[in-house]
Amino acid sequence: MVTRSIWRGGMVAAAAVVLALAVSSLRTTEDSSTRSARMADGRPNLNGTWQVMNTANWDLLAHTVRPAVSQPGVYENHPVLAAPVLALGSTGLVPAGPGVVEGNEIPYKPEAAAMKRENGEHWLDRDPEVRCYMPGVPRAMYMPYPFQITQSPGKIQMVFAYANASRTIFLEEAPRPPADKWMGHSVGHWEGNTLVVHVTDFNDRTWLSRSGDFHSDALDVVERFTPITPDALRYEVTLTDPNVYTHPWKMSMVLYRQLEDNAALMDFRCLEFVEETFLGHLRKNQLVKHWEGDTIVLDVTRRVPEGDKKYER
Amino acid sequence: MRNYLITMMAAVVVAAGATPAGAHHAFAAEFDAKQPVKFEKAVVTKVEWTNPHSWIHVDVTMPDGHKEAWAIEAGTPNVLFRRGFTKQALLPGTAIVIDGYRAKDGSHRANGRNLTLPGGQTLFLGSSGTGAPEEKR
Amino acid sequence: MKIAARFLPVAALVAAATIIAGAQAKAPRTSWGTPDLQGVWNTNTFVPVERAPQYGTRAMMTEEEHAKALADLQERNKRPGRDSREVAGKPAIGTEKDVARAYNEFWFGDKPTKLSYRTSMVIDPPDGRIPPLTPEAAKRIADKREFLAALLQGTSGGHPGPISPRRAERSPDYNLDRINRADGPEDRGGPERCFGNGMPVVMGTGTFGGVMQLVQSSDSVSLYYDIGQGSGFAWVAPITNRPHLPKYVQLYRGDPIGRWEGDTLVVDVTNFSDETDFRGSRENLHLVMRFKRVDANTLSVQFTADDPTTWAKPWTAVQELEKADEKTTQILEPGCHEGNYGLMGMLINTRAAEKAFREGKGPDPATQDNATGGGDN
Repeated sequence: MVTRSIWRGGMVAAAAVVLALAVSSLRTTEDSSTRSARMADGRPNLNGTWQVMNTANWDLLAHTVRPAVSQPGVYENHPVLAAPVLALGSTGLVPAGPGVVEGNEIPYKPEAAAMKRENGEHWLDRDPEVRCYMPGVPRAMYMPYPFQITQSPGKIQMVFAYANASRTIFLEEAPRPPADKWMGHSVGHWEGNTLVVHVTDFNDRTWLSRSGDFHSDALDVVERFTPITPDALRYEVTLTDPNVYTHPWKMSMVLYRQLEDNAALMDFRCLEFVEETFLGHLRKNQLVKHWEGDTIVLDVTRRVPEGDKKYER
Repeated sequence: MRNYLITMMAAVVVAAGATPAGAHHAFAAEFDAKQPVKFEKAVVTKVEWTNPHSWIHVDVTMPDGHKEAWAIEAGTPNVLFRRGFTKQALLPGTAIVIDGYRAKDGSHRANGRNLTLPGGQTLFLGSSGTGAPEEKR
Repeated sequence: MKIAARFLPVAALVAAATIIAGAQAKAPRTSWGTPDLQGVWNTNTFVPVERAPQYGTRAMMTEEEHAKALADLQERNKRPGRDSREVAGKPAIGTEKDVARAYNEFWFGDKPTKLSYRTSMVIDPPDGRIPPLTPEAAKRIADKREFLAALLQGTSGGHPGPISPRRAERSPDYNLDRINRADGPEDRGGPERCFGNGMPVVMGTGTFGGVMQLVQSSDSVSLYYDIGQGSGFAWVAPITNRPHLPKYVQLYRGDPIGRWEGDTLVVDVTNFSDETDFRGSRENLHLVMRFKRVDANTLSVQFTADDPTTWAKPWTAVQELEKADEKTTQILEPGCHEGNYGLMGMLINTRAAEKAFREGKGPDPATQDNATGGGDN
């Protein structure tokens, strides 16, 4: 009869609502032991904190151990630790690495190659990382500090421990920025299991490594993120910049997810520490003057550059 | 003595009381109220659209014809962007008029007090019709 | 059609289910079943932080009260902006104030035209006002104010008198204010050093009020606040059972830990440092934030602030944010430190002013107001 089926239908509907509410309140936390490899939409799950395990931030090309800051030693091809890092001993060395660049060569135009060499020789004065400036893309991805991904169907947000830098990868249409950005403008889409991101609208202020690798504001980057295992991603980057490179080139590396139970994205808040390094010479009274170890005594003299050079950032 | 055009502003008004609370700049620490500058012929060479203030680099043609490079501190770019400005509004080559105050250390830097764009729009001073974006996005 | 009495309870249940289902449709949910807090959020509606005494313990205005308060707001909107270069209605050209002020209404513009029916953001204590400061906090703040005043003594922005010998002293607290001195970066305070805003953020209205982007997964909620002059920041609340970091680990924006309580995301934040100041509270601040998607266009952001070394008791405030159109309300890059020529300029030019004074070519910088910019000389 009609009334009896309404009664049954009503009970089923009510039960369904109650059940749906109960299920939705069960999902309260996610951590590495319960995180699924796939999102509800079938895409790879990129949520969590990630970090590379390489030395790309020091040097993108294959390299052996060397001082972070060098000076000539007794022998021609054997430099020694220079003053800024002398007391650090082994902690003042660049670790060895097999490189991340396909073909192990960055195709600089001749004048750009000269600029890179010069940058490398003066990296403490010039590298924006030393001043805690935003690292740009792709450098942010291979800094030796973790970053956290929050992934939704429409946006993927990355927050970097280093200097609280961040980037939003728009998976839906997004307006272009009004001016150039340190971190560029990222638009992504999925190709099967691979996240493909096109990054544009860079300014010319970031470097690619501590070795002086750089680019112009014409830089165009395409990234590909492909899971190898649920907790490791192959990260490939193609860089194009007709002002600086003779042709596009590519780097490739692996991003590893942090699995520790207490993994936490702790700010690498460098700002107030670097003030002394690059503004200390402008104090009324010099602050950092002297250091003594058992066998090394360091005295610090500051100087103010001439003219408009003193305003350079 | 430099030969830049100095417009001496009349009527320094001194008023008692009525000091608005909590300004959030300290331009007065950098720039000198006693050294106003006005550049009628300034051409943009580069714009740094960075917070907290944009910096507009210009080549200024002085009254005697020689050129000087100056850097002018402007307002926060984020507000300009929210008002519809893009970097297209101030591309290299754009001619602008600037008045401001010079840095105390005598360098070629000034606080842009008032900036007039080619279309006649002014930024900073005035309460109506100021800073209307040249291009709507 | 008449429903037989014995079917009424079921009919009520079905009706209730339909109503619940209808309400859920307005506040969207994610595909994994939690409320969806995502979007770009700002506010164009003015709400005072604290409640005017005439409203007593009432959280909402009557229609009459609202109409009057709206008229008052419109009157206030007609006055010149807080950064006005005018003194008594006339431009104060060639003065320190004229140098110091940079912005007119264009920059702060968009004065709020909408007024909330809420009498205040503060909803607890019941009088809608932040509880009194503890005696130790009151002393802390008074001591600092005395120090600030001492550095302004004898300048156009301070009390008359000789230059204070306290100019040689270190600030009694970790200085976050703009003080009338530029011996080094520490004298310039948090904003001028580009420290960035801390938590919690109470968003303003209008172009300068800021926008917040929220991206959400089942793992975490990632907020990006685009506020001020590039003092925006990213803040991620992981949804996790892990405990807070050890107490001695102090972080600029604390250590957030999130969990769902029904339809509300509760984020517990501890481990703040003395480098941020929230209305007098520094490293002992404990925040409990509550995010709730009220409906398709509204995100409620509530926080309870607890610091027994600052306030006599905890207090709670709420801000209802409005969904912005992402096409026209972009999230802009922060970056304050990268372009902070101002900090360099202040140090360089104060050194230059000191040198000029030593050579008899200029006034003693200590006699100038380089803090409030409000001098009338």
